[in-house]
Amino acid sequence: MEKITLPERPDWRIEAEALGFTFADMGGEPYWDETSAYRLTLQQIEEDIEAPSTELHALCREAVAKAVLSEEWLTRLDIPRPYWDLVEQSWSNGEPELYGRMDLAYDGKGPAKLLEYNADTPTSLYESASFQWLWLEEQQKRGVLSPDTDQFNALHEALVERWAEICEPATEIHFAADKSNPEDYATVEALAWAAREAGMGAHFTDLAGIGVTEEGQFADDKDRVIGTLFKLYPWEDMLRDDFAAYLQGSGLRCIEPAWKAILSNKGLLPLLWEMFPGHPNLLPAFFEADVAEALKGGAPAPSVADAFAAAEEQLRAGYVTKPIFSREGAGVSIFERGHETERTQDDSYSHHPMILQALAPLPEYSGFHPVLGAWIVGEACVGLGIREDRARITHNLSRFKPHFIEG
Amino acid sequence: MLKRKRSRHVALVLAGTATLALAACEDDRVDAQSFPDLQSCIAAAEENSLFFTAEDCRTNFAAAQEEYLETAPRYESKELCEQQHGAGNCGDDPVAQNSGGGGFSFMPLLMGYMLGSMMSRGGGVFSQPMVRTADGRFATPKGDQSFASNRGAGKVPTQTFTRAPSTLGKPPLSSAAVAQRGGFGQSSTARSSSRGFGG
Repeated sequence: MEKITLPERPDWRIEAEALGFTFADMGGEPYWDETSAYRLTLQQIEEDIEAPSTELHALCREAVAKAVLSEEWLTRLDIPRPYWDLVEQSWSNGEPELYGRMDLAYDGKGPAKLLEYNADTPTSLYESASFQWLWLEEQQKRGVLSPDTDQFNALHEALVERWAEICEPATEIHFAADKSNPEDYATVEALAWAAREAGMGAHFTDLAGIGVTEEGQFADDKDRVIGTLFKLYPWEDMLRDDFAAYLQGSGLRCIEPAWKAILSNKGLLPLLWEMFPGHPNLLPAFFEADVAEALKGGAPAPSVADAFAAAEEQLRAGYVTKPIFSREGAGVSIFERGHETERTQDDSYSHHPMILQALAPLPEYSGFHPVLGAWIVGEACVGLGIREDRARITHNLSRFKPHFIEG
Repeated sequence: MLKRKRSRHVALVLAGTATLALAACEDDRVDAQSFPDLQSCIAAAEENSLFFTAEDCRTNFAAAQEEYLETAPRYESKELCEQQHGAGNCGDDPVAQNSGGGGFSFMPLLMGYMLGSMMSRGGGVFSQPMVRTADGRFATPKGDQSFASNRGAGKVPTQTFTRAPSTLGKPPLSSAAVAQRGGFGQSSTARSSSRGFGG
């Protein structure tokens, strides 16, 4: 894996604007940045990213199967008790998942490490599936990239196929998001086009405009009944909203299904480590409450004593703390040799229980730290989107970098 | 190249909320034709080369009759039924008469049926029964699509052919009275939030 400086397409900003990709620059900083690109070999893609991510998703499904039946885990994951049934039934009914994005630390050598799994509301889909794809096609045409190069990006086709698998033909699907947020909206529109290509009806509704009818069904901002809802809105919030009480009786089918509440929760990381300790793509992870004393010289919680002992040396070298609910790096701190060495400013999630995960330092390429976003559609890894940040904690002003496969 | 790792095509254009909402409603239209009875359908099919055959007329008229019995609204009094469907447009419920039970034994009369071509969606010919509305129009049983006549051709929204439920609950996209709004989006796990909901 290398970072290669490449000439930009001279007119890409005009093209981005014409296509409706309005957030290519954000806050005066570039978001889409094609002054350079990451080059990976086919072997790196297939053996280090694709296969392990598909396997990790399968492990995640095992973790869900365990957690939905465990009062202890549902409690630790802070799933509101009135909705344990809803979550469990979504799993036992086999409600299918649509998509997710695993964030991986990877430097071209050694196993990629799962940092977290945004399995519920991942964004940057349009940039990954479409604008990145266009970049490769155009750079090949311009002769900047060889015609033999490729890209790990079957996202769009995989999404079309997945929609057709999980919905009856011609299902009317509502897509809900915060319409004032162009990034969220772009992800939803990318999903909606794939759904329409799969023969579905796609209708956008503003999330806050959703209503409940006199019969207890959900309706969109134009009073039309919602049968199937794709919501770019996290389950952890949905289950705490006033309308959560109507979910079970409404006949509403939600995508992602409610069991994704287990995966998008950072408490998943200690759960995975408990079930699959030592897995090459996982980092040792614990609830902070179980090991905080031990890191100060005291004793860990008895249930994790052995696992802590096995990981202690690695944790003392460095670990990261993060709230079980958090997005875009909020509330994340890095500790090395017992001292806090980096933290994000945004602490809006820091009142939630924290988890602690061994530090997998992100590699540095010319002053930037890339995080690899491995896209899962259905149960398989089908694409890659890389974001990089000057800081070691990737946050919402990170840059999206295109990648290509060569060699 | 041994094995291609990227899609052969993608969706490149972000059209915006208004366009997505509109496109979904306006583009999903299919050819449709309505008939007051089976004979007029067969006559039309034999006269012209249309998207349906005389055989389609027979199959779909039978299907529409059955669907009418399953999904058309039922009322406890003829007056109530006529309020919704117009004077003289209601009759006894044949199912209730046969089974001899139930307090809801009046329903609007079957006034025709509509055929739709679902060729573009990989289907064949679909049908829906039609009943009268209070304002003198013709509607499918779930009532969300109404038409001036039960005779004629045109393009109608695909969801016209979505079956009405025979049980409780209204089908997707039908219009409903909203009791309250704004119960989603409070985003309560974040103490302060100016960001969107994704990440």
